Amino acid sequence: MSPLARAIVAELRAQPCHFGELVQAHMDAPWRDFLHAWGEVRAAEVLSRDDAGRYLVTASPSPSAP
Amino acid sequence: MSRLVVFLLGLAALALDGEEHFFDDKVDRGCHGSRLGQLAPANFGVGTARRRCRLPTMSAGFRDFLKQLDDAGELLRLSKRVDPRHVSALMAQAPQATFFETLDGYPDWRAAGALVSTRKRLAIAMGCPEHAIATRFEQGIQRPIEPRLVDRAPSQEVVWTGDDVDLTRIPIPMMHVKDGGPYISATVVVSKDPEYGRNVGSYRLMYRTPRETGIDLVSSSDMRVYYQRALDQGRPLEIAVAIGTHPFELLAASYKAPIAVDEFAVAGGLHGAPVELARCRTVDLEVPAHAELVLEGELLPTGWTADEGPFGEFSHITGEVKWNPIFRVRAITHRRDPIFYVLQMPWENDWLAAPVIEAAGLQALRAASVEPVAIRAPVGGCCYWTLVASIKKRPGEGKNALLALLSVAEVKLAIVTDDDIDIDDPDDLDWAMTFRVQADHDVLVVPGARGKHIDPSVRAGALGKGGLPTTAKLGIDATIPEGVPRSHYERLRYFAKDAVRLEDYR
Repeated sequence: MSPLARAIVAELRAQPCHFGELVQAHMDAPWRDFLHAWGEVRAAEVLSRDDAGRYLVTASPSPSAP
Repeated sequence: MSRLVVFLLGLAALALDGEEHFFDDKVDRGCHGSRLGQLAPANFGVGTARRRCRLPTMSAGFRDFLKQLDDAGELLRLSKRVDPRHVSALMAQAPQATFFETLDGYPDWRAAGALVSTRKRLAIAMGCPEHAIATRFEQGIQRPIEPRLVDRAPSQEVVWTGDDVDLTRIPIPMMHVKDGGPYISATVVVSKDPEYGRNVGSYRLMYRTPRETGIDLVSSSDMRVYYQRALDQGRPLEIAVAIGTHPFELLAASYKAPIAVDEFAVAGGLHGAPVELARCRTVDLEVPAHAELVLEGELLPTGWTADEGPFGEFSHITGEVKWNPIFRVRAITHRRDPIFYVLQMPWENDWLAAPVIEAAGLQALRAASVEPVAIRAPVGGCCYWTLVASIKKRPGEGKNALLALLSVAEVKLAIVTDDDIDIDDPDDLDWAMTFRVQADHDVLVVPGARGKHIDPSVRAGALGKGGLPTTAKLGIDATIPEGVPRSHYERLRYFAKDAVRLEDYR
């Protein structure tokens, strides 16, 4: 995983977030880099949702995750 | 209506400024020498060469519509560099449609959005006055014109396959605060079934990874049927997604035509000319040749298993997380100087529903032998849940009209007035509802009719998974009651109003 993807996972492990809140927290990263990182997090299959539609991480990334 | 009139309407759609409109400028449409890659930001690639190649030999395209908006003063150009994350917020502040000439991180792309976010701009797209969008739509769908296959497609000037396929190369913007991710909204999605043939619909695609999106395939649709049939056989469903087409393609895609009807023929009827299609590069499908961008790929045979959303819905509120199929992208093709169309939710979705719902209302009234004068699906009801109509009333027809209008789709509020009421004037409408309505006689409630999940008042959450909501429908007969003379509604007139002029006393 890229450092940005790892940072996103850490944030979602700490507390559930709307996607927009994640984006807001990383406005310093180019949009394309952020989308790539989000794709890494998605591919790692560690995301869950709460009732409000926020993302959270409850599992560990699989060893085969990109 | 004759084909000639359809042709003239199509012509009007492309010449709102009243000037003769030549299609010579379609340099990228195969009837002229190539000028690709030299398009000035100011002209969208149309309107310069002036060689004659007139309608209706081909349908109008996305860039023609941008030029129409520009000519009408309805397009705001932003030349400063804009982050795609800020595109939607800027569009929301602009009174006009918005054209982004420079996108941060996407030097090869431009973007445009909020193109039909008002009734006025929808009317420009449809080439008719604002009051006539329903009849214009009706006329178009009654005269389908088969699409035409062409060899040369601007939408395939650039082709990405293999490792080049990467959705992050496209400036997919952020839209609403609580969206589950950025998504592609202005889609014309093509699929094919061995038995039913081609289908065209419009579905949102929320970004997942550089090669995958979700697809908002929750509601019943023909493509949902196609996908279910493929799923039952354990095979993927190939689809192609065109982005950046004329609004007529979007209107046809969102029109619930019978399953055997080709929506591209419906779009052709709206244009008054055939839609030109090109064969896709990696799937057995055809897409509008003049689209700005095309995604080719397949819906994986995994069913409704991927979380997607929430989306900002056309009901103006945030929806819930949905379970949807996954779209895996196999190829991306686009114009050499692509313009990414950001369909602004909810407004463009609302206004694109208006002609469909209004036309359905007109048809329902006529089927009930009621003569309509005017009809509106107001944006307060998201151009979907409310219909207001004025009619030439005979005794009892106020109620007949209500029953007819309440039978349309998920319309849950219908108001009927006489033809002396301007239904576009809220004060006039209030006046009619105040003085022509007795609640115990003129208000109709129909309980237990079909509802829609995204209306919070149907309490869909209490239904359990797969439950279908019902709704109560309300009709208000604001026509002059039977037995009350029309003279009782004669409006006040000022004495000597026509004898003196204010200008003479200034």
